[in-house]
Amino acid sequence: MNKISGVKGVNIPEQFLITPMFVFFVIHSMQVGVGIMGFEGYIAEHAGFDSWISILIAGAFMHIVLWMTYSLLHSSGGDIVSIHRGLFGKYIGGFLSVVISLYFLLLALTVLRTFVEIIQVWMFPSLQMKLFTAVFLGIIYYLVVGGFRLVTGFCMISVILTLPLLLLLLFPIQIGNVNYLYPAIEHGFVDLLASAKATTLSFLGIELLLIFYPFIKKPQQSVKWAHFGVFFTVLIYLATALVAFIYYSEEQLKQVTWGTISLWKIVEFPFIERFEYIGISLWVYVIIPNICLAVWGATRIPKRLFKISQKKMVILYCVILFTATLLLDDRQIVEKINDFTSQVGFYVLLYIPVLFVISKIFHKVRDTNET
Amino acid sequence: MWKRKKKRAREKKQNELKEKSDETLQTLFEALKKSDDFKSYQAGSNRYVVSYLGTLSEPKLINHSILPVLNENVFFTLEEMKNMLPVEDLEITEDPTGVREKIMKGYIAIQLKESDKNVLLIPAVTVEGRQVSIPEVEFSVVGPKEAFVESLDKNMSLMRKRLTLPQFTMKEVSVGKITKTRIGVVYIDGIADPDNVNTVLQRLDAIEYDQIIDSSFITQMIADNSTSPFPQLLDSERPDRVVEVLVEGKIAIVVDGSPHVLTCPTTIVEFFSSSDDYFLPWPLASVFRLVRLFAVFFSVLSTSLYVAILTYHHEMIPEELMSTIVSSRADIPFPPILEVVILELTIELLREAGARLPTKIGQTIGIVGGIVIGTAAVEAGLTSNVLLIIVALAALASFTTPVYQIGNTIRLIRFPFLLGAQMWGLVGVSMIMVFYIGHLIKLKSIGRPFFAPLYPLRFRDLRDAFIRLPFNTQSERPLQTRPVDPIRFNRKRASEKRDVDE
Repeated sequence: MNKISGVKGVNIPEQFLITPMFVFFVIHSMQVGVGIMGFEGYIAEHAGFDSWISILIAGAFMHIVLWMTYSLLHSSGGDIVSIHRGLFGKYIGGFLSVVISLYFLLLALTVLRTFVEIIQVWMFPSLQMKLFTAVFLGIIYYLVVGGFRLVTGFCMISVILTLPLLLLLLFPIQIGNVNYLYPAIEHGFVDLLASAKATTLSFLGIELLLIFYPFIKKPQQSVKWAHFGVFFTVLIYLATALVAFIYYSEEQLKQVTWGTISLWKIVEFPFIERFEYIGISLWVYVIIPNICLAVWGATRIPKRLFKISQKKMVILYCVILFTATLLLDDRQIVEKINDFTSQVGFYVLLYIPVLFVISKIFHKVRDTNET
Repeated sequence: MWKRKKKRAREKKQNELKEKSDETLQTLFEALKKSDDFKSYQAGSNRYVVSYLGTLSEPKLINHSILPVLNENVFFTLEEMKNMLPVEDLEITEDPTGVREKIMKGYIAIQLKESDKNVLLIPAVTVEGRQVSIPEVEFSVVGPKEAFVESLDKNMSLMRKRLTLPQFTMKEVSVGKITKTRIGVVYIDGIADPDNVNTVLQRLDAIEYDQIIDSSFITQMIADNSTSPFPQLLDSERPDRVVEVLVEGKIAIVVDGSPHVLTCPTTIVEFFSSSDDYFLPWPLASVFRLVRLFAVFFSVLSTSLYVAILTYHHEMIPEELMSTIVSSRADIPFPPILEVVILELTIELLREAGARLPTKIGQTIGIVGGIVIGTAAVEAGLTSNVLLIIVALAALASFTTPVYQIGNTIRLIRFPFLLGAQMWGLVGVSMIMVFYIGHLIKLKSIGRPFFAPLYPLRFRDLRDAFIRLPFNTQSERPLQTRPVDPIRFNRKRASEKRDVDE
């Protein structure tokens, strides 16, 4: 395949590759981030309590985009940098790659800043942001310089560690009211689509595949795992959203910013209560691989483009993240940056099908010319 | 001035080293004669020169087998003497360095005349050593009761008698500029991965140090990351345990003079498995292993969780439980972190004192520390009862680790958690945990992942990790060691079942 496209595949030494199964964990941890903490309010804005259908629509869209990404990558054998170079040439392609790199940086910033916001709101109103962010980024630096394999390992640990949090959803179900969900499907298709678009921020992350594809040992076998990953994410979102819809009334949900965290609040055991503290603390294990993957992806592109040391890029990006996090010190701005990232992410997701079509045409034209 | 002196000293040393390389028998004997336990005298009918180190050579052999022969016969060549002496493994050599090495080991050197270049070397080594005794660090109630001793040869024989296999191989190297310590790299040829063996041999070769006193020197020197608090080679004093892992395809490093044998490549879960696990039925062994794992987490996290919850998140504790804690903490003037640090340091002091003292006094210290100081601290209002219970339990839990080395690690790593808890409560604890997990994933044991079988995830190895499944399911050797021959036994035949009434 490489011969046809004329793009040289990226060869990664074997000890840095990951087995196909781990694509599941990478895709899943990249998708689940801060979004799940409060996405119920966002998505219910347009389609109300019918928006669980929107999650399914968005999920289906994700599966299609994932399929396109794989087909794009299979035919080129490289990553986004080589695809861009092959299609648009050195300069325009390079520029587009840099844009993607900055997009991942933006993702990392959004997740980091939102998580700091959650900690400020729920645990420490007088948090020393400077010190906290510095230590947080220090840990991220330590993990990212360990390489992609290390980050992948951490993704797996994070999925396993946070799986028990799903059990907490059983508590609100007991006191919830299923009738809130009826009557089903009272909103129009346009509303559902609008809600589906609002879900985007929570589903962002599969674009990372464009970068880490050369790191998969047998890429063909990883397709099913990637789809499993997306499917698992859809399931978790669906479950969380349904439980939230059962628990809150529609009016109430509009007032709640962090729906999922508020759900944890009601869990009680004889020796411990207020589970949101445990939930947020455990969420550190979800946030860190998420940011690590984004930073890794963001720094991998300049390394491929300009042949500069990735370590230096990680330091540079961490410094940028640090300053940006400190500059955005307002709840309103945090909300705005979330909206902005959501928009940008949506366009990046739309860009993949465009790229897909362009590359198909490109190959067709080249094939006919050659024969 | 000082620099010049240093330079001169270095030159002098180099000259000395040079001299050593062109030494002759004469210079060698002169150097040895400075020491009073070196004996050199003329004996026998023809005044042969007999020289040896009196403190290293067996006097019985000299008196009964060598001197009588020398007295009764007349020899004109060493070859004749060699044929007459009733001792095995004799050697005639001219090489002065060879003679030096052999004499320093306890050989007897015989020359026909003093100026003669040919030397007959007779092995008469006698080394005082401890008898094989019961294991003290890794004690187990059932199972073999032999422990390694400080001699490489004895340790080898302890292993060989359990593993009667010609493929059981030992490669000997000597490490240490001055001590020239003998180190044996032991493995089963045909099971152990040759790559692993080469890695170990290469790393041993690369060691630049003057003395190797114990195997723990080697652990630190050939570790992949020597700044990590986690030991990356497992040390054991039980021959049965070492043989067990040798059969799995691992490599053992035996150091002369050390009663602990190192095995590698190892994983973090191996440090929490004890040899008892294989002597008990598998359901019991699995449960005990899980208890031990829980104990480790409890020991590391309990005090930091106490600090985190009492400092920042009191809301988490239900009302009824809160009243208990409040009443126990009512008179205490310190914040939780200070209270914890005081008690943790006390426990650490007790441990250090207990480890340095002879056993009999050690018990007294335990009683004094545990009962007197603990009760007094609570009564004086320095610490709360609840915390005392938690700290004591945490200390107790840390003693459940079957390997001593990892126990020390656990002692140390709880302090960063305390710091994290004091800084940002539960989030801080989580962040420190993230750091340690990342660190563990990064670690390698002679190039093989240390965090396996968790990451890379190996279902095959998980059968003997957190739980131990029955023997008939363990039909393959662990992937961790990359064994050349991965099959242990025929699984089908092992799990053949009889039908009803057959």
